[in-house]
Amino acid sequence: MSETKVSKEEILEIIVRHTREVVPELEAHEFRPDDSLKALGANSVDRADIIMMTLESLVLNIPLVAMAKAENISELAEIIHAKS
Amino acid sequence: MPSRSWPDIVVSGIGVTSAIGQGKVAFTAALLEGRHRFDVMRRPGRQRPLPVNGEGTPEEPAAAFLGAEIASVSMPGSVSRSLLRTASFSAQVALATLYEAWHDAKLDAIDPERIGLIVGGSNFQQRELVQVHDAYRHREAFLRPTYGMSFMDSDLCGLCTQAFGIRGFAYTVGGASASGQVVVLQAIQAVQSGQVDACIAIGALMDISYWECQGFRSLGAMGSDRYAKDPASACRPFDRDRDGFIFGESCGVVVIQRADSVSMTEIRPYALLAGWAMGMDGNRNPDPSLEGEVGAITAALQRAGLSAKDIDYVNPHGTGSTMGDITELEAIRRCGLDHAHLNATKSVIGHGLSAAGAVELIAILLQMQEGWLHPSRNLEQPIEPGLNWVRDQAVPHRIENALNLSMGFGGVNTAVCLRKC
Repeated sequence: MSETKVSKEEILEIIVRHTREVVPELEAHEFRPDDSLKALGANSVDRADIIMMTLESLVLNIPLVAMAKAENISELAEIIHAKS
Repeated sequence: MPSRSWPDIVVSGIGVTSAIGQGKVAFTAALLEGRHRFDVMRRPGRQRPLPVNGEGTPEEPAAAFLGAEIASVSMPGSVSRSLLRTASFSAQVALATLYEAWHDAKLDAIDPERIGLIVGGSNFQQRELVQVHDAYRHREAFLRPTYGMSFMDSDLCGLCTQAFGIRGFAYTVGGASASGQVVVLQAIQAVQSGQVDACIAIGALMDISYWECQGFRSLGAMGSDRYAKDPASACRPFDRDRDGFIFGESCGVVVIQRADSVSMTEIRPYALLAGWAMGMDGNRNPDPSLEGEVGAITAALQRAGLSAKDIDYVNPHGTGSTMGDITELEAIRRCGLDHAHLNATKSVIGHGLSAAGAVELIAILLQMQEGWLHPSRNLEQPIEPGLNWVRDQAVPHRIENALNLSMGFGGVNTAVCLRKC
């Protein structure tokens, strides 16, 4: 991780960017913090890819299982932020 | 013609993608004109990396391999973009090619539970895997989770059955460079036994990396750098100046059905699959066997109820290998097929490895339909000049009975007889 901690909002932006990449059908979707990846049509493998791509962008090596409790992208960003 | 105890089996649909064109119309036109795309291969992962000195400066140019690569693939809009995102190049080409065959055979009209799919080839996503390994070496923790399923060849089965709603069976079969014909034989058996009403046989695009190119070259199977400055001349099956096969990207899809299950008002089958055979040499190595090839030809003719004189066209395996070409022509002579027209499809499209048998079978069907035989490129001095070669120009000929041959490393010999219907 870089010395300057990335904000939760920036992490959320990264999650949205990778979600659009993994599920191209969501290109035009206006994301909200309470959006659930599952409800948006991302299957379990898509969700695992989105999280891994986010961690790769942040150069943050934490187990995927830590993110299992996130109900929406805001909670996901929060968990990642707390572990960064 | 002797009576047979099995139902007539036909090809009801085809799809083809190769360096010379996507779709049967473009493929046929290029094939008959002998139009090629042989060049230095440029797809990422197909050049041996630059050797560097102690200061990190390249010491010599990257090792380039010759071959024919597909310029671009037009994907059907019905295949979702999220499915394509994690599909390998082999898988993308298979999906696009299957789309053509699916509609050609009008498979929408068949119960999805009565449709099977078999993918011919093994380890055919090698370039894709090398690229992933190179990208994530020393940072393996970030490897995309999808790699856990996409590295397997059987991922193609999952992708194709999802994209087309196939609910019968799906699996892969391998037979080295004979895979494309082994998969057709397997599909014939699935239909003949009544397991399904229609079986799709995919000769998968073998996406080799520089590792496989180097291995094939070291083995003496792939052409050397003799024609490095003249790529157009490198691929020359059955010519005295050949020195190995030249790779060519391709994928062929063949739909097999019982003749009595095809609605003749809807579809005109391409040909009857009259006879077929597969035999092993009991030899793990790449060297060919005259006895093995003669055995496969003889058994296929016998099954078809045909004699050698009935065969008017042979589409040989013809890779351009030193021993393979000589042995195959000897087998053709020994089986009494000297009179039959003969050309070399690989001279135009290159060697598709796992796809070759299926794509070359498709080449037969298209030539049968057109009434023309395609030219053999670079056949300047045939090693057997007395045979009935199609040389540098296409010739008109109405195929009645054709014979298609494939061989693979490990002693695989296959033969298929096709009859016009």
